[in-house]
Amino acid sequence: MIKKLILTTTISLLVFTGCSNKIPNISDGNNNVSDSTAITGDAVSIDESSSYAGASSNSSADGFQSVYFAFGNYGVSSSMQEIISYNASNALNSSGKIKIEGNCDEFGTDEYNYALGIKRAKAVKDAMGSQGFDTSRVLLVSYGESSPICTTQTDNCYAQNRRVDLRISR
Amino acid sequence: MRYIIFILLSLNLFALDATLKIETDVEHRTRLSIEDGSSTINDKFFKILLSDLKISGHFLAETTHNRADLNSVSSLSKNSEYVLKYSLNQNRGTKLTIRLLKSSNGTEIFKKSYAIPSTAKAPFLAHKAISDINDVLKYPSINWINRYVIFARYTVPKQSEIILADYSFNYQKAIIRGGLNLFPKWADKNQQSFYYTSYAGTLPALKKLNIYSGSNRTIASSQGMIVCSDVSSNGSKILVTMSPNAQADIYEMSASGGSKKRVTSFSDIDVNGKYANNDSSVVFVSNRLGYANIFKKSIGGSGVSQLVYSGKNNNAVDVYGSKVVYSSRESHNSFGNNNFNLYLTSTNGSGRRPITTTGTNQFPHFSNDGSVIQYIKHRGGTSSIGYINLNSKQSLLFPLGGRKIQSIDW
Repeated sequence: MIKKLILTTTISLLVFTGCSNKIPNISDGNNNVSDSTAITGDAVSIDESSSYAGASSNSSADGFQSVYFAFGNYGVSSSMQEIISYNASNALNSSGKIKIEGNCDEFGTDEYNYALGIKRAKAVKDAMGSQGFDTSRVLLVSYGESSPICTTQTDNCYAQNRRVDLRISR
Repeated sequence: MRYIIFILLSLNLFALDATLKIETDVEHRTRLSIEDGSSTINDKFFKILLSDLKISGHFLAETTHNRADLNSVSSLSKNSEYVLKYSLNQNRGTKLTIRLLKSSNGTEIFKKSYAIPSTAKAPFLAHKAISDINDVLKYPSINWINRYVIFARYTVPKQSEIILADYSFNYQKAIIRGGLNLFPKWADKNQQSFYYTSYAGTLPALKKLNIYSGSNRTIASSQGMIVCSDVSSNGSKILVTMSPNAQADIYEMSASGGSKKRVTSFSDIDVNGKYANNDSSVVFVSNRLGYANIFKKSIGGSGVSQLVYSGKNNNAVDVYGSKVVYSSRESHNSFGNNNFNLYLTSTNGSGRRPITTTGTNQFPHFSNDGSVIQYIKHRGGTSSIGYINLNSKQSLLFPLGGRKIQSIDW
């Protein structure tokens, strides 16, 4: 058995290491190089802090309430219908564009999480539309996982981040 | 029984995860010792040289930080084929001089000096020196170590910064601070400009910034989301995920934003489009089977084919030539740490094999020559930027800071 193991191991290693590069042969002194490289040019640096100060709120505003979602889900649950009705009523009594922002917890990755945020924002828009609200007044924006309310690593905390916020667009 | 052992051994040899520390081809790598002739000792710079030599897969460097004058020949190592002698001066900017000598007789094979006006950019001189030595010894190019990495990371809710770095993350510079700016993607092979998503306006906008001139212009905007996922090989077209109708689909757009063509049309989620088959097809992530998975379709064609038939959450992908790398969730925790591993396959779905085995491995990207995969690894509460050299089977991890990386390109 031990002989078989050694034989199999040896064959495996030969198979997977046998096709490697060989060390190149450099002739003595015939191809000496002596030169220099200067790396120039530096990248710019832009500060957008001042122009972005008003956009950092991460909750609903202007009388709207946030709508919450189950893990990985973008359907509006029955428990959220009361909030949908409240938001539709508040929207009917407001003027101007309404910004509906889709948010996710930290467990998605990259583009997929931002796409999920859109699905949630659209679900809230459609639910409000079914209650007579004119959805042509809506702007949808996904913030993916970029706007957490809570950063503690608990289920309750993650649930607060799977939400849609609403506000008047300014 | 021997066949089972053979298969197990084969699987291990193909899994290139850093934690396995596979050291193959040892006898085929050039043994090198290093001698530092700098007036001031810089151990960090020495370690960068060691990292560059390791990930190249072409060198076995002695790890002792020897000190010897740049022009001396007295202390040549008997255990190496070559000696790399260097002198680093950072009094005003950074200057580096290197000499490569044959250990057997002290013959100078190569000598070169490098300069850069910044001390912070010293890592780039190390990378350039090692890639030059690699070229002199006629190994396959490792020019990818000279390239910039660009990434976005979150700072506070709804704010981020876009950072320029060297591949080892020893150099980092904020290109855009403040605001919410995400998904940086190099716009050209020479890394002069990059696309990114800006949230400065009412709707997300795709912008293009030249990192040297500061020229910054808006390419397109969309409600919902807009992200540049890939750039065609000649830079004239881009693949964009956007949602003008509140539906995330993949579009092909001219680099100026002047014209666009819808590539996918699905009632749920299509994202992360990557050019394949000489830019005639797109490989992308879709949940059209009820979970995130990898698909492929011809640009302009109607049929969609499934590329991966295993895993329940394959949510990120990159393509180089016929090679495809993707991340796949291996565990099923709704919350907490899930294991994500990277897999290599091909644009026809064949040859699937794992290339990581532990931790959470995401954001895979090929190098510009397709020989190396860059990724982010989370394991045991720490995050690292990882590299796997597919040819030499070498891997490296560099520690990251605590802030979460949102997106990365190389």
